[in-house]
Amino acid sequence: MLGYALDRLLTLVPTLLAASLLVFLFVRLIPGDPAAILLGDAATPEQVAALTRELGLDQPLWKQYFLWLGNILEGDFGTSIFFGKPVLAVIADSAETSILLAVTTMGWIVLIGVPIGILAAVRQGSWIDQATSGLAMLMASVPTFWLGLYFILVFAVGLGWFPSSGFPSITGEGGLLNLRYLVLPSLTLAAPNAALIIRLVRASMLDVSREDHVRTARAKGLHPLRVAIKHIFRNALIAVAGAFGFTFAALVSEAVVTETVFSLPGVGRLVVQSILRRDYPVIQGVILIVVVFYMFVNLLVDLAYARLDPRVSLK
Amino acid sequence: MGLKTWLKLAVVAGVAANIAGTAFAGGTLRYATIGEPPSLDQQVITSDLATTIAHHIFEGLYTFNAAYEPVPLLAESETLSDGGKVITITLRKNVRFHNGQPMTAADVVASLQRWGAYGSRGGLLFDNVERVEATGEYEVTITLSRPFGPWKNLLAFINGGPAIYPASIVEGASKEPLAPDGYIGTGPYKFSAWEPNRYLELVRYEDYVSPEGDPDGYAGRRTVNFDRLRFIPVPDVGTRVAGLRAGDFDYAESIPGDLYAELDADPGVRTILNGGPIFGLVFTNSKAGPLKDNFALRRAIQTALDKTAALRVAIGPESLWRANGSFYPKGNVWYTEAGIENFSKADPELARRMAEEAGYDGEPIKFMVSTNYPFHYDTAIVYTRQLAEAGFNIDLQVYDWATLIEKRAQPDQWDMFFTHHGFVPDPILISVMNDNYPGWWATPEKQKLKARFTATAEPAERRAIWAEIQALIYEQVPTMKTGDIYTYNIASPALEGLAASTLIWPHFWNVSK
Repeated sequence: MLGYALDRLLTLVPTLLAASLLVFLFVRLIPGDPAAILLGDAATPEQVAALTRELGLDQPLWKQYFLWLGNILEGDFGTSIFFGKPVLAVIADSAETSILLAVTTMGWIVLIGVPIGILAAVRQGSWIDQATSGLAMLMASVPTFWLGLYFILVFAVGLGWFPSSGFPSITGEGGLLNLRYLVLPSLTLAAPNAALIIRLVRASMLDVSREDHVRTARAKGLHPLRVAIKHIFRNALIAVAGAFGFTFAALVSEAVVTETVFSLPGVGRLVVQSILRRDYPVIQGVILIVVVFYMFVNLLVDLAYARLDPRVSLK
Repeated sequence: MGLKTWLKLAVVAGVAANIAGTAFAGGTLRYATIGEPPSLDQQVITSDLATTIAHHIFEGLYTFNAAYEPVPLLAESETLSDGGKVITITLRKNVRFHNGQPMTAADVVASLQRWGAYGSRGGLLFDNVERVEATGEYEVTITLSRPFGPWKNLLAFINGGPAIYPASIVEGASKEPLAPDGYIGTGPYKFSAWEPNRYLELVRYEDYVSPEGDPDGYAGRRTVNFDRLRFIPVPDVGTRVAGLRAGDFDYAESIPGDLYAELDADPGVRTILNGGPIFGLVFTNSKAGPLKDNFALRRAIQTALDKTAALRVAIGPESLWRANGSFYPKGNVWYTEAGIENFSKADPELARRMAEEAGYDGEPIKFMVSTNYPFHYDTAIVYTRQLAEAGFNIDLQVYDWATLIEKRAQPDQWDMFFTHHGFVPDPILISVMNDNYPGWWATPEKQKLKARFTATAEPAERRAIWAEIQALIYEQVPTMKTGDIYTYNIASPALEGLAASTLIWPHFWNVSK
């Protein structure tokens, strides 16, 4: 397994090089001048040109690319044009929020999605199955911005149980208590993803339940709950594991609507704001790191398959 | 432990957590902003959000009172000699920077020189400055090449203006905005922290020495009540409003017009109009395209527009806008009715005839607008329809703001573009007065009037010349004003000392809760 993991890590290198070139080119193809945005309406063209020179943005593109790549190899992702801080520091600030949000959301997804999915499969065709199907449909179809605002109105403005927005770092004032800021956003973000897991767990369990080994288990007279959990769910998990992995990766990078509604300083909002400001170093840095993150999660999912299914061989 | 016990524990924990979270905020003002400023360097940045924050940190030699008149702030007094060409400014002697150093003439000279060379609005004054020198420890002398009327207004306008920094910070500084470790001013609050996407925080400057006199606009005594001012980016307006209602914020900015009636009637929320209205502007291209020097065609376009209808659609409640053609609101010293009969004729038939007479043959007119500002886009949609009714072939090009500002710098890319302008206390600061601003209006008639306008410091004479310039704007149509828009913010009723409306940007000295 270790050899396989190392092999996979080595294949990341050419993929990352290609990704870095694509990211760099796509970002620079967007029209818009960071210097003009930074200086505002009153700046003269000469002043904008002077700042463009100071930022090194007047250099040929190929030169800027190799300079950026060379610096990355030395661990320097550059400096944010907008914040004037190292890109890695800016990303690290946002990553804390995104990772904690993704972890708490995954917690809700597992807590809500798995038991309900199992229940729906075990009681296939019953009113419970119908009700969970309706619930999953509702959770999947309510827009997250609406659900988020609704949660704010009820639980922050109305009941005052949770803060309405923001997320102070857990390393700062308030410590772990600051996690309460993530309760409403994570529930908002969990809703559509839990719906997906409900449907996936149900469908996978029904597939597995028709297989021979399950019939044998039932014929042996095993308790239905034991059959459902040990013989059906364990095997159904193979299909669900992939979905968990990619949902987690997507939660880190694609939670921009929820982050905007709850004003969370996450990676999704950082990248959107950076695109609007044309903060090239931050856009490039975030996308490259997200690419690495996706690749890493992909590798973990593959390793998990091998663990869950002995038939899968890591060669 | 039963389910009920767990639920009770959860509720108790939630309440305790909430108390723990809010208890430390007693001396903190929490301000929900629409986003983050590009930088707080006041000399080069003209973002209103930057000034809202930064004018608590930095001060200029002058500031504005409630009547928008420039009055001394870091200056104590001034004398003019040689027919207004030599300005000698005496500084207040007890002022210290946030780094503990006393403010002296050397700091003021270095700050003015950096602003003159690199400041966004510095060139306006420094095109007429021969030299700036320290003529005493607390005396600065500015020698002009010719009398320049708006000098004091320019020194008082802190947005893109001459904020005073320590010489050690600005000597060697260039156009690139200063980094946060250079945010050292003389104001009532010190820069403390900037956590990207989380908050920007200022703390009380314990050694602040306030100017004297009754508070009057931004002038007079500045009493510092809050320990901290925390500016929190909250991009979603629904969250800004809900957060203020939930008690998570004390003040929230940029609330849309369609919520005004509801919020104004809510006893738990205070609405605060921004005193200086902003106004939309549609610039025409004086360098290229069919509108280049065809003033008659521009007038035909202007004649087709019904600005009132567009304001109703784009802004909403009538208390938030005025169909005012003057570049200044009624009651302001610069208000004039010169030319405003052409502001909103709303006559498509007359416009069609005028366009024919101007030689218009139906060629496309490229009209750029951005979706970043909803009222830009909504107004442009209404205008495009109105212009189509009058026979104009409008090619509406919709971009994000960053793309628009790049394209507008290229004369062959556009014929008209939509932007808006903040309130400025002197007409010389309006973008159309700048010959280099995209649109590039620099006709001989304008140059002549502008030269007369800046050559005199006599208020009545300047007002009369401004009236002539406004009339010329309606005649040559380098830009079309779309009407006055009174944006508004909301505040917690617990805040005391807030004025009914802001002067330009909100300020929180003399405010408490």
